[in-house]
Amino acid sequence: MVMPLVARSVGKRYRTGAALDDVTFELASGEVLALVGPNGAGKSTLIKCVLGLIQHSGTVEIGGVAVERHGKAARKLVGYLPQNPAFHPDLTVRETALFYADLRRVPHERARAGVEAIGLGEHAEKEVAALSGGMRQRLALALALMAEPPLLVLDEPGAGLDISARLELRRLVQDERERGTAVLLSTHWLEDVPYIADRVLTLREGRVTSLGPASEADLIAHATSRLFLRLNGRSADAVALLERHFPESPVARSGDWLVVTCAASRKARVVEAVVEAGISIADIRVEEGTPDATQPEAAAATS
Amino acid sequence: MSESAAVVWTLVQKELRDASRSRWLAGFALTFTLLALGLSLTGSASDAQGGFSRTTAGLVNLCLLLVPLLCLVLGSSAVVGERERGTLATMLAQPVSPLELLIGKYVGLTLAVWAAVGLGFGVAGLAIALLHPITGIVQYLLFGLLSAGLTMTMLAVGLLLSVVSDARMKALALGMVTWFVLVLFYDLAAIALALTFSTSGQALLLAVLANPVEGVRILAVIELQPDLRILGPMGAYLVNELGVPTTRTILLAQLAAWTVLPLVAAWRLFEQQDYA
Repeated sequence: MVMPLVARSVGKRYRTGAALDDVTFELASGEVLALVGPNGAGKSTLIKCVLGLIQHSGTVEIGGVAVERHGKAARKLVGYLPQNPAFHPDLTVRETALFYADLRRVPHERARAGVEAIGLGEHAEKEVAALSGGMRQRLALALALMAEPPLLVLDEPGAGLDISARLELRRLVQDERERGTAVLLSTHWLEDVPYIADRVLTLREGRVTSLGPASEADLIAHATSRLFLRLNGRSADAVALLERHFPESPVARSGDWLVVTCAASRKARVVEAVVEAGISIADIRVEEGTPDATQPEAAAATS
Repeated sequence: MSESAAVVWTLVQKELRDASRSRWLAGFALTFTLLALGLSLTGSASDAQGGFSRTTAGLVNLCLLLVPLLCLVLGSSAVVGERERGTLATMLAQPVSPLELLIGKYVGLTLAVWAAVGLGFGVAGLAIALLHPITGIVQYLLFGLLSAGLTMTMLAVGLLLSVVSDARMKALALGMVTWFVLVLFYDLAAIALALTFSTSGQALLLAVLANPVEGVRILAVIELQPDLRILGPMGAYLVNELGVPTTRTILLAQLAAWTVLPLVAAWRLFEQQDYA
């Protein structure tokens, strides 16, 4: 059976040095592979190589088609969600969807349905320039799914999405996996990885440092988050509470905000504890993947 | 329609839609139409026998000045503009080959400029037809075709500049320098160089072949009024030495080469590039 994605010894060199070096992996139908690694590890570069958007050494085959020689045929089998989706700003959402539907030879009806399905139906006549980052992300996702490709490539799909949209995304990836779609996604939402991915490929300085089942990847445990809480009063109570319940998580003040540095997997528990204590939260902000200075490996894997 | 043709047609339609919203192109179309109309009316007032021939003579200079300018501006920002916006990678992440993208852009821009120039020719032609007995219309139409050819050539050059540039401003600057050299500076410089380094006819021939705008000018004069004084030293040499039919063939081949070679170079270079 032909694998949806096979990468062999993929490498990319810039004048400044190697961005990718000898990356080899395979991705089967119905499998989700998460790419993780610090900023500059080569995750996005690898995705661009997979799509044939940059010149590279080694080979990439999508559904048995070599990207280097038959890029167009190979890309027919891929739906791609870029990290920062860029569309023609003066086109409306509807025009954009139909333009990409025409390029992919997808019926207009399906493109319109895709726009409706991701909740952009009421914004169909809005220019893309007027969309928020999250809406643009959703539009890009609709376009990636439009042709029902056997391979989905998602570059930081959680970026710019709120919590509910992230959960929706998790469900979507699960649905695609169940449909038999192979999914390659890069992410820094490490706590999502065990729920979303079957395997994890960790990159560091362009090299593969580990490739294995998501359940065995220990980087999740080391991932840290910075949780910013703006409270409606009772800050001192909250600090005391957090120091009592989460002694391993330092709490600091930054203006109106309390900043709690905790394990990524614990942040929901922190919020819960504050709410259960009857302290009202006015606003929450999360910074994911903050490097943990005490865990160099984890720091490398989470930033 | 084949798959490639369908993709190219989608890109052509996109270019045409962009062009219809382009203030640059609208401004050009309006300016060109007004100037062409002015020329046709001026010709009518000054010469009762003027008609198409007189207007065509006036349009030659206008076209040789403005058409390369518009084409170099539009062509030079075509690819690099998409690259700067990030939309180049978005489009090439689809089942679209780099060649299809270039052809789609080129054909779309060509049709858009043809429409703008055609509007000027059409309005001026209508005015002349209403005011004069119709004479010299063949030359008028021939010059329209030459302008269409010049459009294709200069857009091809502009597209090549766009492919080799890494920033839109750089591409525009290159386009402006190219326009200045080919349109304003060339005549004097070519003659000076030819006379300084070699007074042979070969040097003059090379000087003509190196500039498609000069080639179109000589072709236009040959078709209109093969007067040696108007042809200039390079044109006069060609007509005297080679005769009108050979000169015409050489200059048409030059125009074709100046269209095809930049396009092929743009395609080969574009294929080797990173798009994201």
